[in-house]
Amino acid sequence: MSEELKKRITDLFHEKSKGDKKMFYIRDVTKWLPDEDRHAIQNAVKVLLDEEVLVYWSSGSSSYIMLPEFFPKEEGTCS
Amino acid sequence: MEKSKTPLLDELEKGKWPSFVTDMKQAAQKSPMAEDLLSQLELSYKDKIGHWKHGGIVGVKGYGGGVIGRYSDRPDLFPNVQAFHTMRINHPTGWFYKTDALRNLCDVWDKHGSGLTNMHGSTGDAILLGTTTEHIQPCFDDLSAAGFDLGGSGSALRTPSACVGPGRCEWACIDSLDVCYNLTMEFQDKIHRPMFPYKFKIKVSACPNDCVASIARSDFSIIGTWKGKILINPAEVTAYASSDLDIQKEVCDLCPTKCMEWDSKELKIHDEDCTRCMHCINLMPKALRPGKEKGATILVGGKAPIVEGALLSWVIVPFIKLEPPYTELKELIERIQDWWDENAKSRERLGELIKRLGMRVFLRGVGLPAVPQMVKAPRSNPYVFFWPEDIKQEVK
Ligand code: HEM
Ligand code: HEM
Ligand code: SF4
Ligand code: SF4
Repeated sequence: MSEELKKRITDLFHEKSKGDKKMFYIRDVTKWLPDEDRHAIQNAVKVLLDEEVLVYWSSGSSSYIMLPEFFPKEEGTCS
Repeated sequence: MEKSKTPLLDELEKGKWPSFVTDMKQAAQKSPMAEDLLSQLELSYKDKIGHWKHGGIVGVKGYGGGVIGRYSDRPDLFPNVQAFHTMRINHPTGWFYKTDALRNLCDVWDKHGSGLTNMHGSTGDAILLGTTTEHIQPCFDDLSAAGFDLGGSGSALRTPSACVGPGRCEWACIDSLDVCYNLTMEFQDKIHRPMFPYKFKIKVSACPNDCVASIARSDFSIIGTWKGKILINPAEVTAYASSDLDIQKEVCDLCPTKCMEWDSKELKIHDEDCTRCMHCINLMPKALRPGKEKGATILVGGKAPIVEGALLSWVIVPFIKLEPPYTELKELIERIQDWWDENAKSRERLGELIKRLGMRVFLRGVGLPAVPQMVKAPRSNPYVFFWPEDIKQEVK
């Protein structure tokens, strides 16, 4: 597993979370890194999720990924 | 007489059919959660608005799905349903349980949740309704000890499901149970760790009766079928002829391709025109049976109306032999998921993506040939267009 890729993803999450949007689809993440292999990005994100550097949020039907500090506490939206 | 606390819900107990309100009242005698659930639902009927907040928590350690977070928006009134999460439990294939397994499941749920279940949800999973955030991990640990695992939710492969197939049904052309179990075990990571653009469902029916409705409800439908002649037992045909069944009217006239002939003595089937719809076999099970060479048809793209309209799956592989370890099938699923993952927008299902980019782009992407069975409606626009380079080749 490339530590460099993990760091790039983590940095991108911090950078992109400066805006209003805090929750991202895995698709957003692969778009941030058009030159990287999609599968390598997904595997790096899985490791980051295991390490709790990133966390999942789900509506039940779709899944989002975000930094733990932005995980809504017992909040809900309908989507 | 004491006045009922749930006059509106009580209306739903009237009539001759079973009522979920009655079930919830029964659960409420033991469970304060179920009690508050009833009261909140009553309020919803009064206010004509849902009182749930949607989404959040996803699962247990190592999982990105299987738990669906739900919170009350009136925890002040209903503190016991402040959190009321759903747990999806991967059902045993074909929904076969022994009673001790069911008892175990219910005991775990009485200990950790509201005691209310939905057996089974439309995904196939056993749905356990209502637990708190603190209970999720211990509940999962107890379920694991009893041999159960979470199912899929979110942007993941959903728990595959299958009809009872050869477990009970004489019409089974494939071992739907084994196919389903095999795929479930093979794709564990895709079920538990959502990495797809959206949900992906696989359903397996062992014959064209399609009892799991895989055509309407799955992105990847596997349906048992046969090649060659429907097997006819003439003695049993004669027996049906002297019964209440009107073979001409009820069987032959309703054959969708009109490929059957009946002269009051002999039943003939022009099998080359049969679409294997099962109608005649369903009506005359003792006289007719699926042919000897068995396999499956693969279809893709089915989905419910959410986001875009509803779609039915359509054929991409007319006939495939299915035998363990199902390597060819698994490779096809991987290729299709990978093409979808590469090309789809977020929350775009496989069927919608194929509609957007076109069948021929899909076929090229996953390496399948175009065949006549893919034509959805004859005499409308041709469904699969040639690539320019193929036309040049033809002209030479
Ligand atoms: C404005 C309110 C709501 C909207 C717009 C909404 C919308 C949706 C949609 C679009 C789905 C996906 C359906 C599918 O599987 O294709 C869904 C699934 C679901 N919803 Fe809701 N919903 C709402 C409220 C609720 C409430 C109040 C609850 C429970 C208290 C709830 C429980 C569920 C569950 C358990 C699922 C299944 C998740 C899955 O299939 O992965 N929803 N909802
Ligand atoms: C008038 C009240 C209700 C009606 C008519 C109703 C009807 C239904 C129907 C028809 C289904 C699909 C069944 C199937 O999958 O075969 C369903 C699924 C479901 N219901 Fe209800 N329901 C009601 C109340 C509730 C309540 C109060 C809850 C939870 C507190 C609930 C939670 C669910 C869930 C979680 C599913 C989806 C299971 C899955 O994802 O597969 N329902 N409901
Ligand atoms: S789909 Fe066919 S094989 Fe499966 S249970 Fe239904 S009738 Fe039987
Ligand atoms: S299976 Fe359907 S199409 Fe085939 S002969 Fe019977 S009724 Fe006709």
